[in-house]
Amino acid sequence: MKESRIAKKKRRWNRLCNGYVFLIYAVLYLPVAVMMIFSFNDQRYNYYWNGFTTQWYAKLFSNSSLVGSLVYSLLIAVLSTLLSVFIGTIGALGLKRYEFKMKKYINNLLYIPIIVPEIVMAVALLIIFMKIGVALGLGTILIGHCTFCIPYAVVTIKGRISGDNETLEEASMDLGADRVQTFLRVTLPNIFPGVMSAAFLAFTLSFDDVVMSNMLAGAKQSTLPVLILSMSRTGVTPDVNALTTIMILVIVAAMILNNMILKAFHRGTKK
Amino acid sequence: MNGKNIVSDGMSAPRKKNRIPVLAMAGPVSVWMVLFVALPMLYVIYISFMSRGVFGDVVYEFSLESYQTILDPTYFKVVLKSLKAAGITTVACLLFGYPLAYIIARKPKETAAKLVTLIMIPFWTNSLMRLNSWLLLFQTSGPVNNFLTGHGLVREPITFVYTDGLVMLGLITNMLPFAVLPLYSTIEKLEKSLLEASADLGADAVTTFTRITLPITFPGIFSAIILVFIPSLGIYTVTDMLGGGKVLYIGNIIKNQFGSIRNWPLGAALSVLLILVTMLLIFIYTRFAKIDDMEVV
Amino acid sequence: MKKTWTAVLLTGALALTLAACGTGSSSDSGAGSAEASAGTTSTQAEASADAGSTELNIYMWQQYISDDLIANFEKENNCTINLSYMSDNADAINKLTAGGGDEYDLIMTCDAYMESLIAGGYVQEINLDNVPNSANLNDTYWVSKGYCVPYLMNYIYVVYDSETCPVEITCYNDLLDPSLAGKISTIDGARNLFPIALIALGYDPNSTEESEIAEAYEWLVQFNANVVAYGNAEQNLTNGTASVAITYDGNASWAMAEKDTIRIADFTDDAIQLGIDLYVIPTGAKHIDLAEKFLDYICTPEVMAANLDEFPYSCPNDAAVEVASDSYKSDPARDFSYKENVFFQEDVGEALTIYNDYYQKLKVGE
Repeated sequence: MKESRIAKKKRRWNRLCNGYVFLIYAVLYLPVAVMMIFSFNDQRYNYYWNGFTTQWYAKLFSNSSLVGSLVYSLLIAVLSTLLSVFIGTIGALGLKRYEFKMKKYINNLLYIPIIVPEIVMAVALLIIFMKIGVALGLGTILIGHCTFCIPYAVVTIKGRISGDNETLEEASMDLGADRVQTFLRVTLPNIFPGVMSAAFLAFTLSFDDVVMSNMLAGAKQSTLPVLILSMSRTGVTPDVNALTTIMILVIVAAMILNNMILKAFHRGTKK
Repeated sequence: MNGKNIVSDGMSAPRKKNRIPVLAMAGPVSVWMVLFVALPMLYVIYISFMSRGVFGDVVYEFSLESYQTILDPTYFKVVLKSLKAAGITTVACLLFGYPLAYIIARKPKETAAKLVTLIMIPFWTNSLMRLNSWLLLFQTSGPVNNFLTGHGLVREPITFVYTDGLVMLGLITNMLPFAVLPLYSTIEKLEKSLLEASADLGADAVTTFTRITLPITFPGIFSAIILVFIPSLGIYTVTDMLGGGKVLYIGNIIKNQFGSIRNWPLGAALSVLLILVTMLLIFIYTRFAKIDDMEVV
Repeated sequence: MKKTWTAVLLTGALALTLAACGTGSSSDSGAGSAEASAGTTSTQAEASADAGSTELNIYMWQQYISDDLIANFEKENNCTINLSYMSDNADAINKLTAGGGDEYDLIMTCDAYMESLIAGGYVQEINLDNVPNSANLNDTYWVSKGYCVPYLMNYIYVVYDSETCPVEITCYNDLLDPSLAGKISTIDGARNLFPIALIALGYDPNSTEESEIAEAYEWLVQFNANVVAYGNAEQNLTNGTASVAITYDGNASWAMAEKDTIRIADFTDDAIQLGIDLYVIPTGAKHIDLAEKFLDYICTPEVMAANLDEFPYSCPNDAAVEVASDSYKSDPARDFSYKENVFFQEDVGEALTIYNDYYQKLKVGE
């Protein structure tokens, strides 16, 4: 009797928790839903709902400039995620574990890209690139993005490192593993959720960045956010919504597919 | 490269003889920060002491004009206003984000991973597009107002757009994942056995939370505060889009100096001010939280 | 030995990033080294003229030129046009003055900046012999001839929704009416807003007198109380957020097509602003031959006329307007008697800082 009451209470609590999660996700997804709906809007610019059309999807497939900039944005986001998470992971460990004179300054420097409005960093970087004669393009955008992604990565990963990792590592070293092995086998799995969070953050920041990409871009190619920002004078055309809708659907489809494959794989190994 | 020299010069490595791991681990991040943060920032500080050219360019003549301008009380008010907005955003993100992170972290690993990804997906769409969606929803002829007037809840459509309220909504929804991710990653590593032990020893849920959960997850809370508060202090896209150019925070004002108003030295001086204010706050915060230095995180 | 591979890998990654920014272009001209790069420019131009460029990099406004026009030019000249877009007038000025301007062959800016750009050596002279069709352009709208080629023009109209606008608007001072509180959506920018105030007060719209600008500021403070948003004027007017908009003629034209209660305010006396968007060739540009060909192409009457159908802005190309479609010619956005009563944004020199300071004060508010 008593146990079932506890079970009931627990179930009710669980339901409440799930309801809460659902509510927050609903708020986060509301603008996305609106964006998707307006990809079918029959209007030159998305000012208000004006009727249903699928013409924007057709336009998207005939006009490649949006798709090209999406690919460019993805490329930059992936590269800057890899680079900044790599530097951020070992950097977080290094800054947490070791003592050196510069450490205090580096720790403070890490806050600066987070504090300063991006435009300040972007202008400063632009001027320095110009002074040393670097041509603007993918490389400069990448440097710009990593400059604000690395601090986020370091902060997120540092939060995950704790003292008990160190004992494990020492044990591993005592057992004859070298540093690299220890890093890959012990340290990394331990801080992996932090690394994942950092990767998510870095990708999101880079993929959505407009200020650095605008300032440091060369003449050849713009990223998608820069293209969207430049539409702000008149209004965003619904084909951007169409592109975003397709993108979201692809991501969701990939996640479901990935899930199915994983499940099938698990079933296979169990047998 | 000289960046590396700086690092190796700066190393004392008292505990370990081997310097290679320090160099390998902390080296890249140090080099990067020195080259692409310290150097540009020194330049920013430098031009904050220069004069402004007619055309918005920097004239390399020493001048304190920018700093004199900042002394104007209006800037002080703007800084206060920005601090308030960033503060509200941070508190709201923690209040909404902590329970969310906690619930997610308590789910089975696979479900949790999926939920975390689900949080991020909306953020892979363009933030300007999402902000525009809020405008479309709340504008005078938008669905929210149509609902309100259609059901007789209000007589006249309410002007939601271009108000402080909508800016806050935009800020909170934009910053939430920056709170949830670090919180999740610390709560996730919280040992379940620890909580059970606490419960077994007779502690109620509240005591367990305040005595065990909260202190252990403190690093995550610290990260969350840093990641939410500081960027919202300097953000300007949200205020630009949802505030209609009328709601201005310090970030907008700095951005305008490099954009439409074209006064780079003043923009640089305001950035220096912003950095000093933030550093001071972090300093007070770390002292208050009894943490040594800022390197706690 | 294994211990060091991490370090090696890192240095490799760093080096790769740095190397990536070195590629792409051999240009090494710096931010302010206008004169220095001017020397190399001529040789580069000659070199590229021999071979004939196959690439043209243009920086301009989004939604401002026909895709067909671009595609046709690419086909005719067997080249690729890379279009990148600005989101603010300041973007173009930043590109030209702070650096990176030489990555482009054509940059769009407006008449008000021309004098300073020429004085600063940021733009180069255009050989109009290579742009014969530029003869079609009306000289009235051609400031700094020889350094730019005008593209389209914008009247800045006061537009209102006759259904929701509570007052009749016949002059700028009507915009201060308290019943318009929170009902105006306007374009932004010091040099767009101050002339309105100066004209309302009866001064020269390009005044350089601080006392007059200060008065204009006071006028704008009152105006500011009625403004719901700066920017998005067309959107806010058509969706009902605002009942009055201050916006460009092309946007007015679209708004009127969208909603038939929208009208352009019929001013009795006040002059309206006419801004000219034009192309300049930045100092250090690498494909001048193709840039000139492109300028000549857009000045061709038939080409521009087709472009005007898609982008119904006013046009300084008289020959093109003549052959333009009837729908363009009969557009109410271009059919106003007071259209003659216009003023231009002039370069105000040193006074620009006064404008910017007051504009800043206006935006920060009390």
